[in-house]
Amino acid sequence: MNRHVLTSVLAVAFLFSVIVLASQEDGAHILWNRKGYTPEQPIAYSHRLHAGELQIDCQYCHFGADKSRHAGIPPASVCMNCHRFVQATLGAIRAEDELAKAEERDPVPVMSAEIQKVYTALALDGKAERDPDLDQSPIRWTKIHRVPDYVYFDHRPHVSVGLACQRCHGAIETMERVRQVEDLSMGWCVNCHRDVNATGVAGQEVDASIDCVACHY
Amino acid sequence: MSNKPASKPDGWGQRLPELPDGGAGAPLQKDLLNGVSRRHFMQATGFAFIGTMMLGCTAVSEEEALPYLEQPEGVIAGRSDLYATTCGGCSAGCGMLARSRDGRPVKLEGNPDHPLSHGGLCAVGQASLLGLYDSHRLRAPVMDGKASDWASVDVALGDRLRQLRSASGRVAWLGAPITSPNKRARVEEFLATFDNGRLVEASANSQMPIAEAHGLTHGVATVPRYHFDRAQVIVSVDADFLGTWISPVEFTAAWSSRRRGDALENGFSEHVQFESRMSVTGTKADLRLRIAPGERAAVLNQLVRHLSQHAHRSLRQIQDRPLTSVDDAQIAAIAARLWEHRDQALVVCGADDLAAQTLCNAANELLGAYGKCLDLAQPAHHAGSSETELSLLLDEIAAGRIDALFVDGLNPVLDLPAGAALAQRLDAMQLVVSFSPYEDETSAHADFICPDHHYLESWSDNDNITGLMSYTQPIVAPMGATRQLEESLSMWTTGAVVPVRDQVLASSGGDVRRFDKLLHDGFEMRDVRQNAGNFRPDGVHAASDPDASGLQLVLYSKVAIPSSAHAFNPWLHELPDPVTKSVWDNYASLSPATAERLSLQDGDVVRVALGQDAAVEVPVLIQPGQHDSAVAVALGYGSVLSRRFEGVGPGWIERKPTVGSDGLVGASATAVLAFEGGRRKFAGRSVTVEATGARRELARTQDYHSLDVPPHLAPEGGERRPNVQETTVAALMDPHFGEHAIEHHDGGNMWPVDHPYEGHHWGMVIDLTLCTGCSACVTSCQVENNVPVVGKDEVRRNREMHWLRIDRYFVDRDPATAGGDRSNGTGNGDVDVSHQPMMCHHCDNAPCETVCPVLATVHSDEGLNQQVYNRCVGTRYCMNNCPYKVRRFNWFEYAHEDEHENLAMNPDVTIRSRGIMEKCSFCAQRIQEAKIVARQQRRPVADGDIRMACQQSCAAQAISFGDMNDPESAVARARDSRRHFQVLAEIGVQPSVGYTSLVRNRPTDHEGPQHG
Repeated sequence: MNRHVLTSVLAVAFLFSVIVLASQEDGAHILWNRKGYTPEQPIAYSHRLHAGELQIDCQYCHFGADKSRHAGIPPASVCMNCHRFVQATLGAIRAEDELAKAEERDPVPVMSAEIQKVYTALALDGKAERDPDLDQSPIRWTKIHRVPDYVYFDHRPHVSVGLACQRCHGAIETMERVRQVEDLSMGWCVNCHRDVNATGVAGQEVDASIDCVACHY
Repeated sequence: MSNKPASKPDGWGQRLPELPDGGAGAPLQKDLLNGVSRRHFMQATGFAFIGTMMLGCTAVSEEEALPYLEQPEGVIAGRSDLYATTCGGCSAGCGMLARSRDGRPVKLEGNPDHPLSHGGLCAVGQASLLGLYDSHRLRAPVMDGKASDWASVDVALGDRLRQLRSASGRVAWLGAPITSPNKRARVEEFLATFDNGRLVEASANSQMPIAEAHGLTHGVATVPRYHFDRAQVIVSVDADFLGTWISPVEFTAAWSSRRRGDALENGFSEHVQFESRMSVTGTKADLRLRIAPGERAAVLNQLVRHLSQHAHRSLRQIQDRPLTSVDDAQIAAIAARLWEHRDQALVVCGADDLAAQTLCNAANELLGAYGKCLDLAQPAHHAGSSETELSLLLDEIAAGRIDALFVDGLNPVLDLPAGAALAQRLDAMQLVVSFSPYEDETSAHADFICPDHHYLESWSDNDNITGLMSYTQPIVAPMGATRQLEESLSMWTTGAVVPVRDQVLASSGGDVRRFDKLLHDGFEMRDVRQNAGNFRPDGVHAASDPDASGLQLVLYSKVAIPSSAHAFNPWLHELPDPVTKSVWDNYASLSPATAERLSLQDGDVVRVALGQDAAVEVPVLIQPGQHDSAVAVALGYGSVLSRRFEGVGPGWIERKPTVGSDGLVGASATAVLAFEGGRRKFAGRSVTVEATGARRELARTQDYHSLDVPPHLAPEGGERRPNVQETTVAALMDPHFGEHAIEHHDGGNMWPVDHPYEGHHWGMVIDLTLCTGCSACVTSCQVENNVPVVGKDEVRRNREMHWLRIDRYFVDRDPATAGGDRSNGTGNGDVDVSHQPMMCHHCDNAPCETVCPVLATVHSDEGLNQQVYNRCVGTRYCMNNCPYKVRRFNWFEYAHEDEHENLAMNPDVTIRSRGIMEKCSFCAQRIQEAKIVARQQRRPVADGDIRMACQQSCAAQAISFGDMNDPESAVARARDSRRHFQVLAEIGVQPSVGYTSLVRNRPTDHEGPQHG
């Protein structure tokens, strides 16, 4: 083995690492730093429409935020609270109505493709009733905001102190597809804790712990 | 100037001017391998290594989140809910709260409102969680040795039952004592469909003699309910009521209520124990007298003789001459104490001997204890049928006169005498049906195994004590295709499965709303009383002359393994025995004098034989305080359920197996259990003990046993280690007690700027008077904090992972007369025993924190010594520095994957991998939870909001935990106690854990006869 062979082997190995890094699905990043991560979801749910335009409260769907460590992704039954009635955009329904009138027939029910996915998951027929011939299957969302298993983040103290969800999750109400806005690193968490200990939140004094054991146990 | 070496130095060449030749000597060669120098090789390797490491910076695999489709109301992911149920770990029936998380139980706690347990839960109850998540549990019925399904089993079994019914076959049910009215109804209905059906209830350890004795003396054959909380004077003859006898959690809670050292105005009980082996109860007695196993009836004879004199009532069965070697004056003194407090006196006896039990009843009768400290009107129902009925049934089976046998909750082939012969009879029998959840020694011979649900999957009512009805509800849907026994019976009786919830609802009265409340509460008190009978002096049996010669066998159950049904449970096997600190084995305990006489040492395998053929081979364990004629061997071992432990522990090159040469843990002692006169004799039979020449090293977590420093090493005034402070009630009565305690000038807080502790300051105090060493806390901690099991070999290397250990110390009562060599600190005489739970003391000046090179262990603002697992690199310097040696290191990857066992893990605690240090965290997850909840409710954390896992499980409520900065908190008041002390206070670490000294109710100057 001479130095030239050694050098070329190392060069290849280095290039290999770079290629593997760069070819990561969600862009090259250091382990656990997923800032900007915007995965495709099984249903193209739009926060811009629901939280932004319709102004549905975050905790209407993510009701776990003040009850448990996990805010939770809502069960499909929450979607059905509205979508048993709302099956398509008003425009689409009107278009069908007019077409039906033009063709002198009864309008057929219109179902948007995305809303249909919820019905399929719940094995419902068009009238929102359980179809016994179909099997239910859960909706497999891709988790975006993740921290390592040794971090025990709890939503409750953050929600109950009056922090807006946007503080950590960004302007969700403007996102068609949710992306991670902050890097959720420990440094980012600790800095905010230190800042609010000095400045308070919404005018109230807070005592945000920077003890290790607050999150690592 | 020195010579320069001939070749050009390239970094590896050296010039040493101080040496005469510059160190040149021979010219240094360039150290090259195929043209590559050492330096280049190291550079290249390092670079390649880093390059490869960077490959680790790949994408974190995507994680999916699958929410419910229709979330049940009240279920929130990540939130735990508590459900009341009843523990099924043993027959005591303690009320329990199961913590359910994401639809399954992850932790069991006592129900604080339950009148039996008052919130305590023993080690067996804590560990019983693992039985639910056991991958070796049968998940479906077995027919003729092959897995099957209920439809097929019902058809096939239905045919066999029809044949039996038409042929008037003789059917027997041999099962554990039935405490559920619903289950009893189903069993009786089922047996009534046969012309010749009989029910025999028996357990591996028998309480039948107590019931039978009451049948003789009072006309009611039941086990009374014992009220230790009403007793000022307790005399126990071989009844381990704090450890394994009948209902230890209930009795510990009751006994401890009269032993509060800081509330002497409420009285402090006196407890005398007569026993041959060292039991947990014996370790707590104020006065413990050693007797031979065969002397129990004789001792009671003496006691009753003296009591009859006080009571001016004579019993013709009482013998005037002393039958026992115990000094009669001492027994007279005890009888006098009993008589003086006869309104609050209790005599209990754990013997299998009818004479002893009837004499015990006579003693209680003379003291007027019936209706006060023990109650036949609200008795316990654990006993089962009688020994006579059991032996009759076994005779019938042996003679081939039983056609069909149903076995439930009992493993007769392993647990009863002559098991091998029974197995042959089972093979020959027409029909054998087992409800066992496992393929065990008995169900291996069954035609049908119809596995019952685990109690955490079951519905039931429980009538363990008359007047108290406890309920069992499932905490999780059945994990396999098992079926609850009551449903199986309803199918085979009526032809249709009646859901067991409906059965229990009907049994409770049928009102759904009331049923919901009963399930919520977990129990109901009912004003029901039974006939308490009347004392019949003729029922008392006379004590016979005890056989004082030779060695006598004592068969007992360990605190951790009440019966072989628990032999599958690694937590229980690895739980150090409270008295011997031994794990993963059973053994023959011998007194130091006997071992010396027989030239035996710890670990020598001996053959303990009852006559020619009946023998068991077990290693010797030398037990201070044991009577010289007693040979004690634990039952419940040698079960096939322990075969799975072949691979337990890390599989490294030097490992030694946990199991014996037969692939099992321990040896089955039923080989030396025999029927005598139609009754099982657990203690008192003569045995021979012979060395086999083999050795089996015992794994014990403690190998130093004495608080006394060996005489030749002890400095003046330092003969006894001050870890455990002991005192007496009499000394405590002195108002000046504690005033001359040594002041330790320890320098105070070393970090006053960093850690002013202005908010909470968490601390703990453990009351050594109340701690019985039962080790429920150890198991509770293990379950709560995902502490791994490491196997016998690792324990032998002192690598057990328990965060909490209980140090147990022996001290000679009277060193002058102790005899023996005392080189290990104790001689051959009586010993006093103390238990000291030891966990991370969360020292304010922690020596471990200052030495961690990566700051993985640091101090929190609230006084916790934090261990940050993700930061730890495994230097182990902290473990070295810890003065209490409470830090546990993961030497190997102890955690293992198991699809079902994984579900038992607590999701709120990190599972540590190899190379990580861990230790008691003061249940940081519980502290955080309480703080978050309090914050949400805009209130401060109240005292009692946070309960440690160890504290919550303790039946004696020996542990106080709370905010030391809150003067009203229980822990602050305990720290103010005159009895408060800290271990190793003089080294100045300022521990947050303190103890209150062990109080015994005996004369301060240890006067009185010393020996027994």
